[in-house]
Amino acid sequence: MKKSFCFIILIGFLNSCDDLEGPYIDDTFVINGNGKNVLIEDFTAHRCSNCPNAAREIEAIHDVYGSKIISLAIHAGFQFAYPYDTTIAVNPDQKFTYDFRTIWGAEIDTKFGLSAGGLPNGMINRIDWTENGGDHRKDFSQWASITADELDKEVQFGININSTLVSGDTINITIDTEALTSLSGNYKLVVCLSENNIINWQTDGTYEDSDYVHSHVLRSLLTTSWGDDLTSASIYNGDIFNHTYSIDLSDLEDNNIQNSLNMNQGNGNAGGWDANNLYVIAYVYDVSNYEILQVEEKSLLTK
Amino acid sequence: MKKQALTILLILCSFKLAAQNSEIHGDFSLNLQSYIEDETINATAADEVVLNNAFLNLIYSSNNFTVGLRYESYLNALLDYDSEFKGNGIPYRYATYSIDGLEITAGNFYEQFGSGLIFRSYEEKGLGIDNAMDGVRLKYRIGKGISLKSFIGKSRTFFTYADGIFRGIDGEVDVNETFGLENQTKYILGGSFISRYEQRSNPKFIIPQNVAAYAGRLNILNGGWNYYGEYAYKINDPINSLQEREMNYASGSAFTNSITYSQRGFGVTAEIHRADNMLLLSERDRIGKAYIMNYIPTLSKPHAYTLLAIYPCATQAMGELGVQLDLFYKFKKGTLLGGKYGTKINLNLSRINALDSIGNSMLHDNIDHTPALLSFDEELYFSDINLEINKKVNKKVKYNAVFAHQKYNKDFLEGKTPGEYGTLSSTIGIIDLSYKIKKGHTIRIETQALFAKEIDSVSKKQEGDWIMALAEYTISPNWFFAIQDMYNYGNEDESKRLHYMNINFGFLKGATRFEIGYGKKREGIFCVGGVCKVVPSSNGLNLSITSSF
Amino acid sequence: MKKSIILLTTLLLSCGITFSQKRNLPNIEVKTLKGNSFNIQDLNNEGNPMVISFWATWCKPCKKELNAIAEVYGEWQNETGVKLIAISIDDTRSMSKVAPYVNSSDWEYDVYLDSNSDLKRAMGVSTVPHTFLINGEGNIVWHHKGYIDGDEEELYEQIEHLVK
Repeated sequence: MKKSFCFIILIGFLNSCDDLEGPYIDDTFVINGNGKNVLIEDFTAHRCSNCPNAAREIEAIHDVYGSKIISLAIHAGFQFAYPYDTTIAVNPDQKFTYDFRTIWGAEIDTKFGLSAGGLPNGMINRIDWTENGGDHRKDFSQWASITADELDKEVQFGININSTLVSGDTINITIDTEALTSLSGNYKLVVCLSENNIINWQTDGTYEDSDYVHSHVLRSLLTTSWGDDLTSASIYNGDIFNHTYSIDLSDLEDNNIQNSLNMNQGNGNAGGWDANNLYVIAYVYDVSNYEILQVEEKSLLTK
Repeated sequence: MKKQALTILLILCSFKLAAQNSEIHGDFSLNLQSYIEDETINATAADEVVLNNAFLNLIYSSNNFTVGLRYESYLNALLDYDSEFKGNGIPYRYATYSIDGLEITAGNFYEQFGSGLIFRSYEEKGLGIDNAMDGVRLKYRIGKGISLKSFIGKSRTFFTYADGIFRGIDGEVDVNETFGLENQTKYILGGSFISRYEQRSNPKFIIPQNVAAYAGRLNILNGGWNYYGEYAYKINDPINSLQEREMNYASGSAFTNSITYSQRGFGVTAEIHRADNMLLLSERDRIGKAYIMNYIPTLSKPHAYTLLAIYPCATQAMGELGVQLDLFYKFKKGTLLGGKYGTKINLNLSRINALDSIGNSMLHDNIDHTPALLSFDEELYFSDINLEINKKVNKKVKYNAVFAHQKYNKDFLEGKTPGEYGTLSSTIGIIDLSYKIKKGHTIRIETQALFAKEIDSVSKKQEGDWIMALAEYTISPNWFFAIQDMYNYGNEDESKRLHYMNINFGFLKGATRFEIGYGKKREGIFCVGGVCKVVPSSNGLNLSITSSF
Repeated sequence: MKKSIILLTTLLLSCGITFSQKRNLPNIEVKTLKGNSFNIQDLNNEGNPMVISFWATWCKPCKKELNAIAEVYGEWQNETGVKLIAISIDDTRSMSKVAPYVNSSDWEYDVYLDSNSDLKRAMGVSTVPHTFLINGEGNIVWHHKGYIDGDEEELYEQIEHLVK
């Protein structure tokens, strides 16, 4: 009896493996979804050799899911995001002289303990966070599957971003947030600026690339790191909440330098600040667990 | 938790136990550490001021029946532990009974197949590793010399379980016993199989839901000779990325071979191993030692002296080829080198290199690469030549002397940018002398020096040379007192030429040990069995109590 | 949590289980240096005491202890009939060094391998060295954590105490 039992286990085991042969790509997949977008916050650093793998993963996810995926590259941490320190090594090639870290990025990084868990690392809509730690830190190889799960969730809000040039360099940004269902609880709106196509140094595997293209880089926040209240009243299906922010393009770089984390190299915000490459990203999150419920992105200057 | 405790209790109570044969025992450990900020060594203060790791093991056994549990408390975990160890709980509990050669375990268990190449579930408190399985295990002894083990379960990660479901079976046959051979030479054959199920969820690439690994082993013994060889293979196990370059459909493999000969006064061991794309994780997408389920032993000597272990080797499961040779010899009493009590020496050589060009097997729709079986690349990961001499001079004086030369590829082993730190080449000398003052009173002085040289490095922040001295006074059977200082006098950054001073005081009685320490710890890498963790620098007071009953 | 442990303990006592003062060896298999499986409960020294010492090739105080005892082991055996069982907890990284080390050191002990620490856990050993003294009936009567130079004398006193 016992012998035959063991034998059955053995046969069961030998069948349990899926040895595959190429081609490995499966192009039969279907994208569902119901209007919900997903924010991938990619915590990264210019001297982190594995970080470009995460950036490429985001591009691959964009390729599959299109504009439903919105991402932010948040440069954070000390060891790898730090500019080249000329007090301890010479820097004839002027490598890594810039510093993409911002006080907002650092605040978010500290709150969720991302760079402390090793880079690259990220959060998908900030799900799975709890006061006691939680499982919100996601390795980039997890992003695709979690993103797919998120896209399938019910959508609670719709966000519409409008930016208009009022005078000179002043731009008014209007965010209309529509409740698609009635909700209780507190919700906040965060609005930030990201920049694409910044060409500067990045360690990529064993190679130091002077012409690396940095995308979706978090540059500035128009709210605080934890946002503005969506409303103080109850939320009913169909309500639209309107928030307006005003920015002056000529002040942006200076404003950002003042909010840079740079410690030992003066102004590190080298490169970039091309208004044509700037995007507005707005998201709404649930104050009780920080989960991002909806996110939208639009280029700052209407093309 | 209460429920768990009650369940265990009910199990206990439902057994009619013969009082004579039942017993309860266990062990307890408490580790408290305070953290004081110290900018010179980059040590941070903990918000909690004091951090705590503690656990209590309880084992109850009666005849063929055993239940056990471990209560663990991290309030909050010491800084060198993963911060996901947080809170209290009973993450480990089990019940086992054996009858007629069959042993059944339900709940948590630790298991290892062969040398661990495809599966090892174990705990190593010092590293914060505990990947205990939770499930059911059967061990069965079928007749003479044949034993079978099989299990199904999930592996622990911190206070939860990883997604992968593991199924495993392992069999071992003692050929001589089974077939009644009266040979001088003994043959033991073994085979194991592991399969991990994890749901597929990649929209772009085909992902195997069931990943299998298997291994075969052979052990031949004859007199002083002992040969052990094991070969392991893992089928394709890509991660869950959407980028083709990240998707690796290659299979993995590893082997280990050792041959040992020993006789009175002499012993030699020669080993070779190779690993290629042979990492088996409990969740395919996760990074971190908590998820590693196989164990490829590091092919270098585990060192106990501080400066020998400052640059430790860790196995590169993705690809490496290593060789190691150990020679043990005892010069007999009364000979020239042996002196009055004999002299023992141990010579150890090891060398670990990368596999050829790409470094490991790679296979997807565009690339197909398999390194040749015994190929290796010029890229050296680690090498170590060391000689240890152990001698008792007379009734009062004993010493241990070690000379070593190590090469450590810091860029690669620590994931730095190539060329930044290069390879560290260090020459180390150690003298460890004990002097017995009178019955029970011993003083021990240890002096160590490390002279470092960098190869292919541009960084100007290398640590460079170290010296260390330690004095320890012990009074048997209860007391010890030690003071030590590590001095990084050769640091290239002059502001970091620091002393790391530590004072320790301990009291031992029977199976209880109290220890209080105060001092600074250097930031570094701490390894056990080739698995390593990064230890942050710290400054503060440490209290530890361990006790066993 | 602490409450539930207290609860557990009180209920354990109240549900009528009484524990004997005797502590036996656990039902765990280890390997001999010859590759055979060996159940630790089968240890036997014909009614004489036994010492079980947990050690590892990488553990300095363990080797110190066993080397110190090795010098006087012959005397100990003649006087008390004691047998020393050395359980190596070396895992597969250093397991192949155990036999050469033991033989080159001229140890006369019975050496067993506990490569995934099953016996170590079952006996409540958290750190090595840890030494147990077993009486003629196979019960653990004394144990000791750690090793300080000279501790072997205390162990010997305990052994003598047993055979008196």
